[in-house]
Amino acid sequence: MPKLIKERVPTPERPPEERVRDFNEVNLGYTFELAKQEAERCLQCPVEYAPCIKGCPVHINIPAFIAKIKEGDVKGALRIIWNDNTLPAITGRVCPQEDQCEGACVVGKVGTAVNIGKLERFVADYAREHGIEDELLQEFARECSEKKGKVAVVGAGPAGLTCAGELAKMGYRVTIFEALHKPGGVLAYGIPEFRLPKEILDHELDKLKRLGVEIKTDHLVGRTVTIEELLGEYDAVFIGTGAGTPRLLNIPGILLGRIYSANEFLTRVNLMKAYEFPEYDTPIHVGEKVVVIGAGNTAMDAARSALRLGADVTIAYRRGREDMTARIEEIHHAEEEGVKFEFFLNPVEFIGDENGRVKAVKFEKMRPLEERDRKGKRKIVGTGEYVTLEATTVIIAIGLEPNKIITETPGLKTNPNGTLVVDENLMTSIPGVFAGGDAIRGEATVILAMGDGKRAAKAICDYIEKKAKAEA
Amino acid sequence: MGYKITAKADLSPIDYFVEVEAPHVAKAWKPGQFVVFIVHEKGERVPMSVYKAENGRIGMFIRKLGKTSLQLYYEYSVGDELWSFVGPLGKPIKVKNYGNVVFASDAVCGQAENYATLKAMKEAGNYTISIQSFENKANVYPEEFLAKPVADEHYITTDDGSVGIKGNYLDVVKELIEKDRVDIIFAGGKLGTLAKLAELTRPYGIPTITTVRQIMVDGTGMCGSCRILYGNEIKFACRDGPMFDAHKVDWADVLKRAERFKEQEQLAKERYLEELRARGVI
Repeated sequence: MPKLIKERVPTPERPPEERVRDFNEVNLGYTFELAKQEAERCLQCPVEYAPCIKGCPVHINIPAFIAKIKEGDVKGALRIIWNDNTLPAITGRVCPQEDQCEGACVVGKVGTAVNIGKLERFVADYAREHGIEDELLQEFARECSEKKGKVAVVGAGPAGLTCAGELAKMGYRVTIFEALHKPGGVLAYGIPEFRLPKEILDHELDKLKRLGVEIKTDHLVGRTVTIEELLGEYDAVFIGTGAGTPRLLNIPGILLGRIYSANEFLTRVNLMKAYEFPEYDTPIHVGEKVVVIGAGNTAMDAARSALRLGADVTIAYRRGREDMTARIEEIHHAEEEGVKFEFFLNPVEFIGDENGRVKAVKFEKMRPLEERDRKGKRKIVGTGEYVTLEATTVIIAIGLEPNKIITETPGLKTNPNGTLVVDENLMTSIPGVFAGGDAIRGEATVILAMGDGKRAAKAICDYIEKKAKAEA
Repeated sequence: MGYKITAKADLSPIDYFVEVEAPHVAKAWKPGQFVVFIVHEKGERVPMSVYKAENGRIGMFIRKLGKTSLQLYYEYSVGDELWSFVGPLGKPIKVKNYGNVVFASDAVCGQAENYATLKAMKEAGNYTISIQSFENKANVYPEEFLAKPVADEHYITTDDGSVGIKGNYLDVVKELIEKDRVDIIFAGGKLGTLAKLAELTRPYGIPTITTVRQIMVDGTGMCGSCRILYGNEIKFACRDGPMFDAHKVDWADVLKRAERFKEQEQLAKERYLEELRARGVI
């Protein structure tokens, strides 16, 4: 039994007062030496037992890749990760590890869990920066051929990218159809540079292209081309369109100017680089006081982006601190940078000025009850007391619904909440059309979407092979 | 990848015509639908109506209104490429035999839709009446770009009466209604006029379908920027429109929301005009 080192080796971070002035990455990641030190803390639980593997939605062989880091064999570590996840530079940065691998870590029972996320990120970053990835890409790239099968993937977000990558590794010819001008889905429009730099994303996308995947941007499936047309040309289709439509508050004043959905705000800022207006052509205006409504990762991303645009930012949440759904690291970063939090405030009205723009938000104060709801959160009730917060800009980050354009496809069955109906193989009600990620989950995480993409790739492979046999 | 500009022409001192090669869009486009393009890497996503979709090419009418449209006009020529071009977006209008179909417009995007919509309506067996309104004689488009060839009747109006009928399309529509010659009316152009049109036709119960132009970002229903109040429900102009029953639209809100980025747009335009002057372009 190795000696237990209770406290994790910290990763260097840029100081809050410096980082809040730009959009560059906050966490700097491990160096080779620090990564090796942190890797030493892993107890190397046997694979059949390892709780971290069970806690990972794509079941990366975590103890094995950490063992390779200990040996200083980054290529070996990357090979192990790639068997289950070809996008570790992304998952290492955006996964909610505390609820998954790290949440299950044995070391975490007596000290702080092994920093699995940052180790994963280290492997990806180091391999990219030192040319190790190139060698391994050749090993993983299989000759893609139409003979094996052609698959169309709808949406270049986490689910679609993973599905495409896995199928390409198996030798299928894959084409991704993306509505926006840049692939990446939520990784491109939703997650700010300070959490996931665009050059990292671009590199990961480039890697997919080198595996043989073709990406067609500017194609909105359902309008530019239909699922039916795709089925005529491809052996199977995977839908990974995510939960692309913002949920808005059905309260007075919702149409006032400068009330944004988080999607609009983040798209303007991240995808269109509105923070560099007028150098970039897409505008954004935040004014002095920004109120963000919601408490998930999207709310944190929006709040921290607004902070970087020079505003004083308050996050208002209708429940208490313990019920916030954002990652602990992100809440912590937001607090460090100066985002203020107000709890138990439920918005009831947006108040506008004479120009039709928002100037304040009226909230009802809420009170928690002992009773808990289905999700285990304490129920809340209104107190009849009201409070008003001044706001030059409001960002609504209360969740998303599936994209409605894809669900207009004839024969594609949906659940009452708009998500697509799929069977145990992730096949939709249309034979040969599979789906995964938020399009079937409503709203989940990047890694769960990737897990679906991977599962769907296997199911699609089985489906095409079976079909080929039946036709032979 | 890029999308090549295949034709460009002046329509008037304020409007111009651009045609872009985008076979994936042209193949699927139907009247009522729009496109979104980005001129260059630092550009914004610009929603635009379609004049023609033929031979893999999309023709558009554009007004020299803001920085992007000025830049496209002054710096891009036939053979150059646009950075991004997506579509068709939005829902097509219902093309069927209504009887007497009027299409009226008083601004560039409506003039584009005027041709596209009436062409489809004529093919569906309708009697088509076109009204195109301009500020003055100088702003009237060259004959070849008017909706005349697809209209059984074609009217031009100018605010100052320098050519055609003096007034706005509303005046002609009023007369047509009084003569009981309107079964359905489609319209595009200035939002303020569309709001007035809705009130003009409402008492007669004449179906009135108008473009609701709103500021958009993605154009696919993802951001909610173009939300409007429609029969007490929130709809997205990009996904659920852009053509809506004008009688159900809350025009007061639409007019307000369209002004959201006025200061920023003005700033970008002024800066760009200064740049053009410094470079001796204008």
